Parts: sequence; C-alpha cells; structure tokens
Amino acid sequence: MNGDEEPRLSARELLERLEPSLRVRTRVRAVAALVAGLAGAVFVLGLWWSEPAPLPGRTRLAFGLLTAFCLAWACYGGWLVRRRVPLFATDRVIAAWIALAACASVTALIAFVAAQRGTVPVPALVVGALFVGAALVLVVRAHRRRAALLRRLRELGSEPQP
Amino acid sequence: MSDELLIVRAQLGERAALAELVARWRVPVWTYVRRMLDAERADDVSQEIWLAVVRGLPRLREPERFAPWLFTIARRSITDRLRGQYAREQETLTPAGNTFTGDTFTEDQVEAMVDRAVLVEALARLPLPEREVLVLHYLEDLPVADCAHICQVPAGTIKSRLSRARRLLRTCLEEGDRS
Repeated sequence: MNGDEEPRLSARELLERLEPSLRVRTRVRAVAALVAGLAGAVFVLGLWWSEPAPLPGRTRLAFGLLTAFCLAWACYGGWLVRRRVPLFATDRVIAAWIALAACASVTALIAFVAAQRGTVPVPALVVGALFVGAALVLVVRAHRRRAALLRRLRELGSEPQP
Repeated sequence: MSDELLIVRAQLGERAALAELVARWRVPVWTYVRRMLDAERADDVSQEIWLAVVRGLPRLREPERFAPWLFTIARRSITDRLRGQYAREQETLTPAGNTFTGDTFTEDQVEAMVDRAVLVEALARLPLPEREVLVLHYLEDLPVADCAHICQVPAGTIKSRLSRARRLLRTCLEEGDRS
C-alpha cells in the first residue's frame, strides 16, 4: 500500500451499511419476537396445566407443538437481542417495561382463565410469577444503567440530547 | 468533544454521537486493518469491525477505554481472516518472549531517513506480529499496556516485539537503500 491510501467507504457510506442493524424496526422486531415467544409459551403451558381433566393425545400434541413454536420464536428473539441488534440504554428501559407488561398480562390472563374453570394452576402461576420477577429485575437494571450513563454525561459536562 | 462523552451519548442511543464516533475512528481503524491485509479485504473487514462495534457498544462498561476495546475487536476480525496465515507466520518466527538488546533505532530516526511511502512499503514486508505492534504503538499512538491488552500478550512481549520490529524495519529500509 502507499502512504496516501484511504478507505474506499466514506463515513456516510459506512453508516449506511450499519443502518440495517440500527433501525428502530429491527430492534422492535427483535424485542417483540423474544417477549411474544416467551409470553406465548407461558400462556399455552398455563392453559395446558389448568385443564381440569386429562386431555386426548392429539390435543396434548397440539399444546406441545404450540409451546415449541413459541419457544423457538423466543430463542430467535433472544439471539437477535443478544448478538445481532444493539439495544442502547433507552431501548433497554423500553424493552424491559414491555417485557414486564407482557409477563404481568399473561400471568393475569392465566389466573383469570383458571378462575373461570374453577381450578388453581399453581405451577403456571409460579412460572408466571418468576417471569414477572425476572422482568422486574430487567426494569431495575435498565433504569440503573441509564441513570449511571446520564450521571456520567453530566460529570463530563454535557446535557443529553432530546 | 472527548471520545468518552461521545461513547456515553451513543450508549444512551444518540445516533448523532454514533455517527461522530464512526467519522472520528473510521480512518485509524481502516489504517490498522490495511497494514495487516490487502486493500480488497481491508474494506470488508473494516465494515465487519464497525458492525461488531455497533453491536457491542451498549455492553462497553469502560467508555474511557474505547480505543483498546475497538482495536481488540479489529484484531479479532483480522485474526479470523488470517488465522491460517497468521499461525504459519508465528511458527516460522523466533518465539515472542526473546528480547533484543542494544537496539537504539527509533521511529524519529526512521522518519528522518525515509519518506512515508517507503516506510509504509517496508512496513508491509514485516511479519504480521511485528507489523501489528508497530502500527498499534506508533501509528495508532497506543501505549504499550494497551497494545498488550489488544494482542493478549504480556507488556514485556510487546516491548520485545517492538524492538525486533524496529530492527527488522531498519534492515528492510537499508536493503531498500542499497537496491
């Protein structure tokens, strides 16, 4: 190479190539896949466990397949969030609240369905409570991280941009 | 605006800060990659590096140590591309733990002796481990401790590689003068 050589991609072109990973749509899709997959799996399992009588083989198979389908989406969403899509501090706060809302809604729905059927699906409610707890931890962590960054921003003498 | 401030703002999700960060570090990253790879691969690998940087930026816990973190990612991408070739280079070279003494040849003297094009051409002829430390230490201006962190070797090894690299570079330049 000679000393005057320069990158072929300008800063703008480079940013354009990074754009697919930074799109809001991509991040929303990743979080939605994770949350919907987990919520769906918990809901289907909750329904299954709250059945008052033993189910026929085909129904059990259908419940099992639905659960596997939801878990596959959850795994895909988890992989996207962990490896492919950058979730910045503000995104994490929003994502954590979405997760908490989804977990709380699904747990409440399971409890409601069980009450309608006159059963108490203890395992499903325990799992639901665990998910709500995990989502709460995510909310707290996301807020702490964002607060720490904002604090550091103030220490460095800058105000956050809108 | 300092790098740390830019990184904190980018970690909060500010796109303008991320764009500024890319604009600021695009050429240093590409220069490092280009010293290690040919032009064709340098652009591809630089793009891969920036993708990894963007994906990993939210998890960077020490914004003040952005440069070593960035060059660690760059080095990993380069190593992935060069794995086979890099391994062969290391096998054929003297073990990195050896030290070289009595070497007083400095970068300033090199710059005084040759113009930039000749220096870069000589640099391209050095073995990869030595070329890498010269680029990181002198061209990217990183301290020995950061070079050691990036290359995942002790600081003493970096010093001995630098010493060997300067010696090899001097030999290359002297051969160039004679021819």
